[in-house]
Amino acid sequence: MKIFKFFITKIFLRKAILSISIILLLFMANYTTFIATRSILSTFQGYQEIKCMNQEGIYIANLDPDSDVDIDAIGENGTQIVYDYLNNNFNYAFYTDGFMVSLPNIDDMEISLCYMNEEYYELNQFELSQGTDLDFDYQFDKDKEIPILIGKGLSKTYPVGSTIKIEDPVLEQPITLIVQGVLKQNAYHSNFYALNSKNYYNFSIFLPVNAEFIKNANIDLQLNGLMDIVILQTTKEKTVDLSEVMQDNLGLKFNFFSQEENFDYFKEYYLYSLKIMSITTLILLVIITCLSIWNALVSIRLMLRDFTINLLVGLSYSKLRKIFYSYFGILFFINLIVIFSITAYNRYECWLRKDATFATYGFFGLIGMDWFALLVVFLSDIIIGKIIVENMLRKIKKIPISLGVLQ
Amino acid sequence: MTNIIDLNIKEKVYKNKKTQLSILNNFNLKVNAGEKIAIVGESGVGKSSLLNIIGLLDIDYNGEYTLLGSRTDNLHANELAQWRNQKIGFVLQESALINSLTIEDNIKLPLLYAGSGKFFFKEEDFENLINAIAIKPILKKKPLECSGGERARAVFARGVIMKPQIILSDEPTASLDVENRERIVNLLFKMNKEFNTTIITVTHDLEMANRHDRVIHLERSR
Repeated sequence: MKIFKFFITKIFLRKAILSISIILLLFMANYTTFIATRSILSTFQGYQEIKCMNQEGIYIANLDPDSDVDIDAIGENGTQIVYDYLNNNFNYAFYTDGFMVSLPNIDDMEISLCYMNEEYYELNQFELSQGTDLDFDYQFDKDKEIPILIGKGLSKTYPVGSTIKIEDPVLEQPITLIVQGVLKQNAYHSNFYALNSKNYYNFSIFLPVNAEFIKNANIDLQLNGLMDIVILQTTKEKTVDLSEVMQDNLGLKFNFFSQEENFDYFKEYYLYSLKIMSITTLILLVIITCLSIWNALVSIRLMLRDFTINLLVGLSYSKLRKIFYSYFGILFFINLIVIFSITAYNRYECWLRKDATFATYGFFGLIGMDWFALLVVFLSDIIIGKIIVENMLRKIKKIPISLGVLQ
Repeated sequence: MTNIIDLNIKEKVYKNKKTQLSILNNFNLKVNAGEKIAIVGESGVGKSSLLNIIGLLDIDYNGEYTLLGSRTDNLHANELAQWRNQKIGFVLQESALINSLTIEDNIKLPLLYAGSGKFFFKEEDFENLINAIAIKPILKKKPLECSGGERARAVFARGVIMKPQIILSDEPTASLDVENRERIVNLLFKMNKEFNTTIITVTHDLEMANRHDRVIHLERSR
């Protein structure tokens, strides 16, 4: 320990610029690895989620980017015609979210209402931590209670069986909800066409909707629901007809993408960008590692006299190896702590901002994918550390340690 | 008297991509305990290389070396380091100090590597040593704040603090004035007399060399 302390304070940290630059380089290597791993993992999770939707015979709606959008010109009559057409000709999965309501809860979060029909619910196979699955066969009646699922963050305030009265933003009237179950913590939803971004359901309410509910809802729900509507067990020709009905009644051009088209899209955008990200990260890592080695070797050259004197009086290469590993081990450990702190603070900040869609539960504030990314950083540190230390020692051994160095 | 050094070098070769230099060809050296030996010779003849080999810094040569009754090629790298720490002392030129450390830390550097148990060091011994070489006032100073003579004495103190059986001394007085040179030489010889320490000195100074028991002239290989 004494020798290690001596090397840290008197040898390694003596050349401030070199020490700081090596610390920064290693931090860059670690942070790049962390961000890339988390991004890849998040995209993979999004891809797994979309895989449930992206099956043969399923077509996912997407507003054509070139379509003229005049929302004000769309009337309830138009949307109702489209829903009637949908109900008569298709099986479809309906989902829309982002309708915020104020509801008392212990964390004082704004609550997001997510509306979905049975087909969407079945496709996604949501996992529950308490209670039972959603019931879609309820009779829509203003005086009756609507069964709902809630996120974990609401489960203390609203346990299973409790009722919630809200002014529903899409029905524009008070309704009573009854909690039927609680979603597993950190349940999430990835954007169909932005797979690495996700919203968390910890402070959401899942409202089951059926044709009658949609019929009674305002145009916001009806129109938002059409934006990502998923048509099941159908054909390309039928979706072309549907697209025409939508164009005629809403003035919006929708594209319906088949499984193959979606896979092509994912390949083109995500697989390609994931490959680019992985390769870029790897190249960056190699460059940063090489720079770190070069930097470390420059330090060695500058401190050669000091090393020689230490070798003269009893330092051995094996002891030196242990010192190097301990030194880089400490640097990497500090980096991991810093990355952990930044990530934990970012997660905590969502709670401070009362940002319900990003508030997550985790071990010491970090969720599973953060820990996994930290593990990858830890493993990459072992590799980087071994490369740097062994290269440094190889170079040191090549330098003849002799009395001549001191003359 | 017993041989504490029995060295037979067939050759020591320095190589680079283009050239190859062979020195110390068929060089034999036997040294008795307590003997004072001076090694002289022109520059490049291999004096420092010889000291590197004797001091276990260089094990890459063709030959056999028995030190204190043990074949050095049987020693592990850690043992070589331990021997350099406890059995061999290096007394070098006054510049061979770590400038970021105080004189006291420089002198006590070998104690860092001595470990616990095997070597027992008394603070009293340190006091005696610094009093003997009169460097108490500079202990808290950095080397660059001291004179050449003071630094030379600090280097000497570091070389002898572990009470080694052999002291290897490489031009210890090269940059010193007469007074300081005498001081260092007397200190070395005092160690030899009091503790029967073997002294091997590399020097260009023939007057100093002649004060040793034996003078070895190294010549360039033909």
